[in-house]
Amino acid sequence: MNRQSLSLLPIAAFVSFAAMAQSPSVQNGKAVYETWCVHCHGEAAPGPLPGTSALEIRYNGALPAVLTDRTDLAPEYIRTVVRNGLFSMPRSRKTEISDSELEDIVAYLTAGGDNE
Amino acid sequence: MALPPNVSEADFAAALREFQSAVGSDWVFHSDEEVALYRDSYSIERDEPEERVASAAVAPATVEEVQEIVRTANRYGIPLYPISTGRNLTYGGSAPTLSGSVVVDLKRMNRIIEISEENNFALVEPGVSYFDLYKHIQERGLRLMVDLPDPGWGSPVGNSLDHGLGYTMGPFRDHFSAHCGMEVVTAEGEVVRTGMGALEDSKTWQAYPYGVGPTIDGLFAQSNFGIVTKMGFYLMPMPENFMTGTVSVPRYRDLEPLIAEVSYLEDSLMTGMPNYSSPYGGSRITGPLPEVDALMGDGWPTIDELEAFLADRDQPAWQVRLSFYGAQETVHANWAAAKRRISKLIPDAVFEDGDLLDLPLSAEDAEQTHYKRELGIPALEIFRIVTRNPNTANEPWHGHADLFAVVPRTAQGAWQATRIMAETYREMGWIPATDPFSMPVCYYPRNFMLSTLVPTWDDPEKNRRSRELYLKLIDNFAEQGIGIYRTTPAFQDYLVGTYAYNDHSLLRFQEKLKDSIDPNGIISPGRYGLWPEKMRSRNG
Repeated sequence: MNRQSLSLLPIAAFVSFAAMAQSPSVQNGKAVYETWCVHCHGEAAPGPLPGTSALEIRYNGALPAVLTDRTDLAPEYIRTVVRNGLFSMPRSRKTEISDSELEDIVAYLTAGGDNE
Repeated sequence: MALPPNVSEADFAAALREFQSAVGSDWVFHSDEEVALYRDSYSIERDEPEERVASAAVAPATVEEVQEIVRTANRYGIPLYPISTGRNLTYGGSAPTLSGSVVVDLKRMNRIIEISEENNFALVEPGVSYFDLYKHIQERGLRLMVDLPDPGWGSPVGNSLDHGLGYTMGPFRDHFSAHCGMEVVTAEGEVVRTGMGALEDSKTWQAYPYGVGPTIDGLFAQSNFGIVTKMGFYLMPMPENFMTGTVSVPRYRDLEPLIAEVSYLEDSLMTGMPNYSSPYGGSRITGPLPEVDALMGDGWPTIDELEAFLADRDQPAWQVRLSFYGAQETVHANWAAAKRRISKLIPDAVFEDGDLLDLPLSAEDAEQTHYKRELGIPALEIFRIVTRNPNTANEPWHGHADLFAVVPRTAQGAWQATRIMAETYREMGWIPATDPFSMPVCYYPRNFMLSTLVPTWDDPEKNRRSRELYLKLIDNFAEQGIGIYRTTPAFQDYLVGTYAYNDHSLLRFQEKLKDSIDPNGIISPGRYGLWPEKMRSRNG
């Protein structure tokens, strides 16, 4: 690598780091999901968790009840449910899940859950 | 955009600018979309004109910012409504008592300021949740156990200030009683520390609760005298072992000596929270078992009829699961003593050993255990009762309003209360939530709490029916000298009205304090029926 390309490298690295900081993070989405969502929407521990068991009844096998097993969740649907709640699931405020954290959750759930 | 009552648009705009200056514009929420996030997700007045909604919300990060907010509110007459984590679902959640109030969202104040394994306490800010505290303890390997409510996503500060209760040993289950020292921003924006915190550089703020002179801590619980910004809590040392044992008794009348003896054990600190049940008890949601419903007919069976019912069956009338915390030597000794003492009163009681756990549990075992609440492990599994389930599949609830009646800790007390509740449900055209085999819970160690969950909906007509049921329950219990301990803002005025001894002398005393401490009436007007003077003729 010659001197000219070396001098460009730190700037390029800074720009790409800035871009990463602004775009939704699947990794952070997983962390936020595991803080706020998994206690109702995770797998059984030891019995069925409330969100998962409700969706099992609602979907009756037509769709996976565990949200991280879904591959078809629409981003706007995720945002709407988190901010408005649904049946006994309450809404979440921005001091709990900020707008950027919500986008991270969207990124996590629409990336296929544990697929990063 | 909604305005606070009696505040002009210009003043409200000025106040919002001052809030923004205090906390930063990112943390003042005033668009319709943002303010909607502070609606009560379980409101029993959903979408009706009476639904209590905020005009704005402001989220401070420091005590100084809280003080600025309070000073601004005083300048412009803005009613404030502080919330901790805002997860007080069934009791109003994040919505204010008075529509148009500005919610002070303390979630950002989420520091665990101090935690001690030596003296077994924690000092926390309001935004710390039970999940946060538990995680903090686990990450540091501290030998401490937290008594928490179920669900566990609320705040030790918020929960204790609404007189919330838990599941472990008696001294810790009353969360407010287990606090030691608090810091408060008064309605005039001053910082006060209670107990030993009033002594500069105190080293015992979380060790001795009283300081000198009259204590004022109780003024800030289920109330509106200030904004609590720090609170200390006694924590239980993590015991070496946890053990359970079940006692079964055959006859209906056996409940009397059983409760008397278990109460001895509980008050002697030999057992944790007793868990009473009957194999013949129905469900709050689906009602009595068919064979018990038949027994109830149009009235209430006599005890002799209940004994005859039981004599034809092979299950015990009652069971109680006892829980023991301590070392191997002590848990076995306390269980042995319990068996000996109960056998003396009820010779044909049957005892069954339960589980014996070595503590602390591994992370994997903690996730899988059935004893989360008894071991201070926060969870949300309790929502299974109210989320779509086989009992509610066709008509899932949108929420619920809880009602807990404070009942004498006796068999007669339990029987009377379950009958009042069942007959009230029937009177209002509902399936009875209780039956002769229902049992209250022992959240507070010295009494029973008989609970029910009144569903809330997105349908005003159904909510009207729910409200009528709830009010009738308050009435019918009050007529028999049984009070309710906590309620959602929709019922707070009405409930406080039932505590009417000596022409409401307690409320009149509280009102005098309120007028003096909060002369502009800006802190949570109307919370638990306590209105500032300028609003009292309208709402009192």
